[in-house]
Amino acid sequence: MLKLISLVNMVVGAGGGHGGKEESVSDVVMHHLTDHVVEGNFIAKILEPVNTVLGGITFEVLGLKSNLAITKLVLMMWLAAFICIIIFIPVARKIKNAKYGSSSKWVNMWEVLVGFVHDEIVEPNFGHHYKKIAMPWFCTTFFFVLFCNLLGMIPYMSTATGNLAVTGALASTTLLGMIVIGTIKQGPQWIFTGIVPGGVPLPLFPLLWVIELMGLLIKPFALTVRLYANMTAGHIVIIIFIFLVMMFKSALVGIGSVAGALMINMLELLVAFIQAYIFTALSAMFIGASLHAH
Amino acid sequence: MDAIREGLLKVDPGLYLWTLVTFIVLVLILWKAAWKPLVEALDLRAEKVRNDIETAEKNRIEAEKIFEDHKAMMNNAKNEAAKLIADGKADAERLRSGLLEKANEEAQKIMEHAKREITLSKDKALGELKNEIALLSTEIASKIIVKNLKPEDQKAIVEEALTKIRTVQ
Repeated sequence: MLKLISLVNMVVGAGGGHGGKEESVSDVVMHHLTDHVVEGNFIAKILEPVNTVLGGITFEVLGLKSNLAITKLVLMMWLAAFICIIIFIPVARKIKNAKYGSSSKWVNMWEVLVGFVHDEIVEPNFGHHYKKIAMPWFCTTFFFVLFCNLLGMIPYMSTATGNLAVTGALASTTLLGMIVIGTIKQGPQWIFTGIVPGGVPLPLFPLLWVIELMGLLIKPFALTVRLYANMTAGHIVIIIFIFLVMMFKSALVGIGSVAGALMINMLELLVAFIQAYIFTALSAMFIGASLHAH
Repeated sequence: MDAIREGLLKVDPGLYLWTLVTFIVLVLILWKAAWKPLVEALDLRAEKVRNDIETAEKNRIEAEKIFEDHKAMMNNAKNEAAKLIADGKADAERLRSGLLEKANEEAQKIMEHAKREITLSKDKALGELKNEIALLSTEIASKIIVKNLKPEDQKAIVEEALTKIRTVQ
């Protein structure tokens, strides 16, 4: 609710300065969902000397100019990482010390989630043998994405996973994982034989190989867009619901729009979990598939 | 290409790089400090629970076997007890009938003895009575005879008495 109120305040404040309403809603959406260096609070003051240095390091990749400034989303990711660390290191210690399972509800809650990742994501795709390596990777992926998603639900925070660069970086670890695991486990010829299903007639092989090679790139691309779109769409809908009040200039609309926004907010909580699960599960499926020839 | 330069679809290589760095560092930290001990502990516990269940199953089967043995033992004991009781009853019955028979025999013997005794005593008494009667009769007769006997009568009486005594004997 705090987020909604702050949003309303902000929209009303911003609404005065701008001309058209369409421009305003677009401005609000842009401000909330795009990445930028934090401005105008104590965090900005702390980061100012760092950002003058890091922001000065500019580079250009594929025609995209950029720098290493610590932006809002970088801070969000660090916060999510920090939450992971302060939750799981003590929890791991407690689980290790409690021989018959901890009696603490807090510890058990996280144990259930880790067990969920283990049973539903890692075990079906990696089996018992590669579990030891796969568990840390996918547990980290799951909880990092989950906390990034959930942080976006808190007022004044934003969703790091609602940005293509972030989801793209996470998905490219999956791409890298697929290639590296495939090459190590099935040899360097994996890129030819490993990705094409077995038993394909020889004339069809080149065609299928091209298709599968495209599939290899499309899989992480789909991961990128799915997570990004899911996390962004809900936020846009919430903002637009709230903006309806400003559009109709009526407090009565607020009853409906706040109720609608609240509903979408609840849905977003669910989506945060579901998307973290889907991202991790698909990532595990893709990497697990390159373990063995198929 | 323009779409990813600005706006919602903007892809910022700087952010991409920071994401990779953050994620890799987080993986390494949590791998060492959290996931490894956590997964090991969970596996250990799962193993322990499996062992416990196996042990419990084994114990259950053993207990069932012991229970069956005990049941069989109880049945045996029951049968044995029933047999003992039946044997005892039969013995008692035999003993009782034997005793009864013996007692009957004894009683019979005593009765017969008593009868014989009685008969003997009666015979003896009758003999004595006869002698006494003969004695008394002779005494009475002699007294009567002495009083009013004529010599011819005396002779006749003696004759008669002698024949009578002879018939009695």
